[in-house]
Amino acid sequence: MREAFKRIKKSPAYSGLILFLAALALYFALQLIQDPESFFTFKTYRSFAGLFKNYAPLILVTMGQALLMLMGIIDISIGVQLSFANVLAVMLPEWTGMPIAAAWALTLCASVLLNTINGLVVSYLRIPPLLAGYAMIYIVKGINLAIRSAPGGKVPAEINLFYDKMWGGVLPTSVIIITLCYLGWAFLVRTPLMKHVYAIGGNERNAFATGIDSARTKVKMYALAGLLTGIGGLCYTAAYSTGNPITGEIYGLQSISACILGGISLAGGWGTMSCALFGIGFQVLIQTAVPRIFSMLPGNYNTYWHNLASDAIILIGLIGTIFAVKAQRTTLVTGLKKQVKGGGAKDER
Amino acid sequence: MLKMTDISKNFDAVKALSHASLSVKPGEIMALLGSNGSGKSTMVKILSGLVNPSGGTIEIEGKAVQIRSGADARRLGVAMAYQDLSLVPAMSVVDNITLGMEPTGRFGRIDKKAAREKAEKYLRLLKVDVDPATLVQYLMPSTQSMVEIAKAMATEPKLLILDEATASLHSDEVDALFEVLKVLKEKGTSVIIVTHRMGEIFRICDRCTILKGGETVACGEIKDMELDDIVFHMTGKRPDHSVTEEAAQDHLYKEEDLLLDVKGICIPGKLDQVDFKTYRGEIVGIGGLDGQGQAEFIRAVLADGKYTEGLIRFKGREVHYRSTADAVADNMGFISGDRARESIFPIRSVAENLFAAKATKGGLFAPLSARTIQEFANKAIKDYGIVAGSTSHPASSLSGGNQQKLVVGRWIALSPDLLLLDDPTKGVDIHSRHEIHEILRQCVKNGMSIIYVSSDNEELLEISDRVYVFYEGKISGQLAGEDRTEEKLVAAMMGLTGSAEKGAKE
Ligand SMILES: Nc1ncnc2c1ncn2[C@@H]1O[C@H](COP(=O)(O)OP(=O)(O)OP(=O)(O)O)[C@@H](O)[C@H]1O
Ligand SMILES: [Mg+2]
Repeated sequence: MREAFKRIKKSPAYSGLILFLAALALYFALQLIQDPESFFTFKTYRSFAGLFKNYAPLILVTMGQALLMLMGIIDISIGVQLSFANVLAVMLPEWTGMPIAAAWALTLCASVLLNTINGLVVSYLRIPPLLAGYAMIYIVKGINLAIRSAPGGKVPAEINLFYDKMWGGVLPTSVIIITLCYLGWAFLVRTPLMKHVYAIGGNERNAFATGIDSARTKVKMYALAGLLTGIGGLCYTAAYSTGNPITGEIYGLQSISACILGGISLAGGWGTMSCALFGIGFQVLIQTAVPRIFSMLPGNYNTYWHNLASDAIILIGLIGTIFAVKAQRTTLVTGLKKQVKGGGAKDER
Repeated sequence: MLKMTDISKNFDAVKALSHASLSVKPGEIMALLGSNGSGKSTMVKILSGLVNPSGGTIEIEGKAVQIRSGADARRLGVAMAYQDLSLVPAMSVVDNITLGMEPTGRFGRIDKKAAREKAEKYLRLLKVDVDPATLVQYLMPSTQSMVEIAKAMATEPKLLILDEATASLHSDEVDALFEVLKVLKEKGTSVIIVTHRMGEIFRICDRCTILKGGETVACGEIKDMELDDIVFHMTGKRPDHSVTEEAAQDHLYKEEDLLLDVKGICIPGKLDQVDFKTYRGEIVGIGGLDGQGQAEFIRAVLADGKYTEGLIRFKGREVHYRSTADAVADNMGFISGDRARESIFPIRSVAENLFAAKATKGGLFAPLSARTIQEFANKAIKDYGIVAGSTSHPASSLSGGNQQKLVVGRWIALSPDLLLLDDPTKGVDIHSRHEIHEILRQCVKNGMSIIYVSSDNEELLEISDRVYVFYEGKISGQLAGEDRTEEKLVAAMMGLTGSAEKGAKE
């Protein structure tokens, strides 16, 4: 028991876990205060499970971001890429009349392809990730708007029903999807590929010197992040039954802050997928809890106030993480440098 | 086995290698020697794929090859333990050793047991006592070096390169390493060893290749060579073994003139019982190969680093500064060779840069008029011959030499009692260098004392009245008066003196 606790304390996810548990406690405490009669009923569970339905796209995008951040790369365009998958999934059947399944499979492929291109630009053309991401935002947004210039579109009702279904009465489809993706990570982390990712994140020059093809590894991870983003886009389509070309943009920054909150080092090489999940869990719970707190206060506050408050809490969490976790503190500066200047495997040449 | 011919490499303007060559036979241990900056690391990094040569050919086992990446090197059976290590600090020892060649089991998953066994095999071989699951960043520097060597050996290379791998090792670790090298040699593995420790060459190497200024100047069997020959090829000077740790002239100095008296200062792994004296009105030089503890010593004096043992007396008082600011307040000044990082404020004006040190004196909120700064700067510029377009131009507009003069001027204007300079003329042209020397001599005449660290032997002997030479954290020699010859300096740098020599030859 003691040993286990010590292990947790040493793990990169420790700070994220603490934040997550605190947010979880806050969430349930609010639930208890606002709805004391039905707290110990199934209703509480259902509303909690509802969070997964709404936030599965964001959670999946964060998982994709985590894969990149472990290599010391951040991709701010990952949000608009989710919207890309979203509008494509909505419009493909409409344009071509192909069956939904085929259209969605194609959408996943397109999403992987798009991110792979991003990866090629970063690793072979050596464009710094931040710059590449920034350019990608404009390019992808343009594509999205060309596909669907305004929110809307038709998604068959069965899909939404399937997505909202509670399997065995307790497990929402979204939770199953997230779990499957996590299992994919659990496998991946035991393969050489992931070791190479950690090595590249830890010290790219040394990884290169050890014979690791850092460019290829990067492209592979971009492709995997593209897959997760694509799945996230499909979840978005299923959850909201609409295609929206730009709403995803904000997910880009949110996924980055979630990863850092969870304890993944901005410079790379340190952290796990649990970090990302705890980080995004904290963020989602705070975003849900804050409007509820406002609703208990006298007076009227619009959503800007809600956002201001929840973002402030997240910012405090970020600052706290950076100061509390040594790994974050020491790598923040190098991490920022890396984002702006790009990696340096071969700078000795 | 290996043949490198006509290898050249330029880093922008710097010629690291020009037409250098190196050849190694199977089962041979080759020493690659040369003084600091002679291109040894560059030469071996070309073999490991980290540096692309600008010209020349490499043949391995008779076939011409191109080595463009670490992966290429591994494929060709070349493995290297880097001078600055190639470990990933946040990963475990096992992961580091097996990185890039992880044994895999079913479904492409890493076979953890096999990986651990592989790592343990090499750790045991090298007698490294470390839990393979520990993260590398928590290991001591010497253990990290051993892990780096284990990592290179684990690839079972045909050619193993050790670039100053022994520099941070303890003697028992070196013994263990050499045992393993002998076994590898029996098996036909070729080894290239880069080292500054002369004793090791005679212990283990078969042949040596000597680089000087990026060129191969000599190559031959170790048993046909004298130590003095080797040093001669490396430096162009024959070492003179008559150096001692105590300067003969010590009695010339009067006790009451003693300004700085350092006794038995220690920093574990860096400095070992260093005694050091500076008298009023003298320039004391500090020489030695790179990284023998000179920088740590200077920083300890300036309270920019903690020492575990020893005593520093300054102006007759025992001092325990808490920060560098205390040392400056006590009339010490420091000039770093690393202009960009430690001394220049590039976007501030020339005048402001000159005034920077002066600004530390006087009250924090005391009024300071632009005129005061301007007049101060004009005088300094005239006095020190700094060539500046205008005092209001940013400091980054000056040439390297003038920037350095600016920094020197900044401190001299304060006329500290003791000025410490850490390789201040690095990358400064010969003319500016002379001017800086002139300024310093002038200051000494006015009673200032100077401690001058330099990696340039000629410069060191030219400017200093007395020279301390550092070798592996100790003072290996002290040169004063007649003793100040390059031959003696070279001998001391290589540790070829009294006690140090015994250590090297054992
Ligand atoms: N990446 C680089 N960029 C610019 N110059 C470099 C680079 N690497 C080496 N040099 C220069 O090339 C020259 C040779 O350097 P190298 O590291 O090969 O010397 P060395 O013989 O290994 O010295 P030491 O004994 O100090 O390790 C030096 O003048 C050095 O400043
Ligand atoms: Mg070197």
